[in-house]
Amino acid sequence: MAANTNLQLQQSVHNVPPTQVGVKKTRFSRLFLIWVGFLIVLLALGVISALYVLINGLGVTNLTDELPWGLWITVDLSSIALGAGGFTLSAAVYIFGLKRYEAIARAAVLVGLLGYSSAMIALFMDIGRFDRFYHPIIYWNIHSVLWEITMCVVLYSTVLVIELLPIIVESTPLHRIKILHKVAHFVHYLAPVLALMGMALSLLHQSSLGATYGILTARPFWYSPSAPVLFILSAVAAGVSLTLLVTLISGKVMHKEMVPSDVIESVARLAGFACLAYLYLKLWSWLATNYYSKVPEQQLGADILSRYTPYNYTFWFGEVVFGALIPAMFFLWGRLRRNQNALVLACFMVIAGLVINRWNMTLSGFVIPLDWSPGVGDIFPVNHYAPALVEWGVALLVIGYSWLAFTLGVRFLNIYPHARPLDEYGHPIDTPDKPTASH
Amino acid sequence: MTQQPEAPQQSDTNPVEHTSVPLDAPETLTTEIQPSLPRTEVVTKQGQKLKLLSRAEFMTLLIGGGATFVLAATLSQPLDTFAREILRNRPTEPHEGESPHRWGMVIDLSKCIGCDYCVWACQATNDTRDDMRWNIRVEDQTRLGTTFHLTRPCLHCHHAPCVEVCPVAATYHRADGLVMMDYDKCIGCRYCQTACPYGARQFNWRERTDENPRVPDFGTPEIPRRARGVVEKCTFCVHRIDAGLARGLIPGIDEEATPACINICPVTARYFGDLNDPNSPVSRIINTHPTLRLREDLGTDPSVYYIPPEGLL
Repeated sequence: MAANTNLQLQQSVHNVPPTQVGVKKTRFSRLFLIWVGFLIVLLALGVISALYVLINGLGVTNLTDELPWGLWITVDLSSIALGAGGFTLSAAVYIFGLKRYEAIARAAVLVGLLGYSSAMIALFMDIGRFDRFYHPIIYWNIHSVLWEITMCVVLYSTVLVIELLPIIVESTPLHRIKILHKVAHFVHYLAPVLALMGMALSLLHQSSLGATYGILTARPFWYSPSAPVLFILSAVAAGVSLTLLVTLISGKVMHKEMVPSDVIESVARLAGFACLAYLYLKLWSWLATNYYSKVPEQQLGADILSRYTPYNYTFWFGEVVFGALIPAMFFLWGRLRRNQNALVLACFMVIAGLVINRWNMTLSGFVIPLDWSPGVGDIFPVNHYAPALVEWGVALLVIGYSWLAFTLGVRFLNIYPHARPLDEYGHPIDTPDKPTASH
Repeated sequence: MTQQPEAPQQSDTNPVEHTSVPLDAPETLTTEIQPSLPRTEVVTKQGQKLKLLSRAEFMTLLIGGGATFVLAATLSQPLDTFAREILRNRPTEPHEGESPHRWGMVIDLSKCIGCDYCVWACQATNDTRDDMRWNIRVEDQTRLGTTFHLTRPCLHCHHAPCVEVCPVAATYHRADGLVMMDYDKCIGCRYCQTACPYGARQFNWRERTDENPRVPDFGTPEIPRRARGVVEKCTFCVHRIDAGLARGLIPGIDEEATPACINICPVTARYFGDLNDPNSPVSRIINTHPTLRLREDLGTDPSVYYIPPEGLL
């Protein structure tokens, strides 16, 4: 299919007179329509599943009182983490002065907003009283990390919407409305402030998501000071990786250089260092809680996991080796970093590693049963969980929504202001008639 | 780089004094004086430039470092006191209002015969389904290999993890120690279930349409059924306590003001009362018997005490 696409795109490039390259085409390619159609099918399946859950309640899931969180929490945690590219790259541009990252910052903001809105969909589906989703905003419990997360997610999503507003206004007929044009201009002026707010809010809740598990004294698998930091480090690595991945794939499909290659390389190195930092802390966390620990509860927990679940393997292979170590090498080794296919592969591995990590983290803590009896008998059964079909359906809703929204965003919004079309040899063509970036 | 082994000293305070060392010595440093600058630059034999501190810079560092040290030393004691004060008064569990009472329970595991009457009386009174019991019984072994029956209501912890984690403050502490649920606030996120060390919380996965199998043999429902999508839990039959107190009854002594599970026990293995009152049945037992509480290592400070059977302590 990819070869076919390339052919088609090359043909279209050849057919268009050079002066018209870069002018918006109103005609949709067949591939685009098939892809959008596929996503709409996913979305429809998701909507049907979601309605089924809303009508019948959470009893239709495979969740239990012993294992009350499952696939949707994994989707929620992963979406927020994968949206972390937004705050990382905005902060890079506006706080750390890496102006050239601006070429990719808009994409990061779009990915961020889609990640956060996906998380809100997953959370909405996961609460028992859907009609009370707004309660955390009204009834505060400032001691609850989950309350803090909810508030931060709401506030940061607002920041992301504001950051995206100028892009929407300038890319659509909306810019003809004078007041909107002025507002967009003002928002652009505010960009550094927004980036600062985004970073502050993200640092708060990205780590609090790890603390959601990390502070629970009753669960020795979770209870650890490293959980919050591991969450934020992995979020930065995976969030940046997702932004890179969608940029590279969009470029391949649209036969354009979305972002200058030196920026791509620089961002890839950033992801590589984030992976290394994550691995470093992960190693010490594992050493402290497994290798050096003689705490009976931790030993028993590790025992249960290796006996009843594949999570020990998915930890080492999914999270550590393929999820961070190998991609870090890809990102940091110049020759591989300059190879776009290798980069795509590395980004994909980091993202997969993150989703596996969030699943493992959630499920491992629940699989190991609570033991509150003072007796010595082995009376608490190990908990099991496999998502019900309808849970997968709602996961499709999130996937369909976010992928469709991104596809349409790249197609219709000026997400990559520095994008340049490629010639038949794959070299970017300079188009002086096209504004490179509008500030 | 020109090397000036016998360079004249610009100022007598220049810290570089060892220029008389032979040049061929590997560690030799030579100075290169720049008259306009107070800072001295040192060039190693390899041509590497090193900067030396001027007297002013050195004094600044010395005084600054010293001041920091003195400040840290003086502040560490108040800071420690402050941190301890925060830890002592950390408002992890907002107890609402003031009350002279703290309700508690004692369960005598050496007496319990595992008849399940307390489980069923609770089900009838609070209208719970078989798979959503607020008060459950498990069988466990002592170190001697003997079986004992452990019943577990909500332990109404003084430091309740469920209260701390609830994002909407739907679960809260009353001043009398009870951990309560506001079913109108609960959004059903189930974080309290995740945080409770004792598995004492049940979620309404489905709409309730079932008939209560314990009614009327073990009592009749005294509170309304909870809606689908909220988490529920044992209340120590708070409706009885409050109504009883209003009528001048004493919970734990007068049956009408006492939880259903206490009244029904055929072997008097369960006691209820005010832990703050030294003459209450619970206080007297706790003062005269060895007791344990579940997972005391977690620091949750539960209000339910157990008298262990032989071989458990």
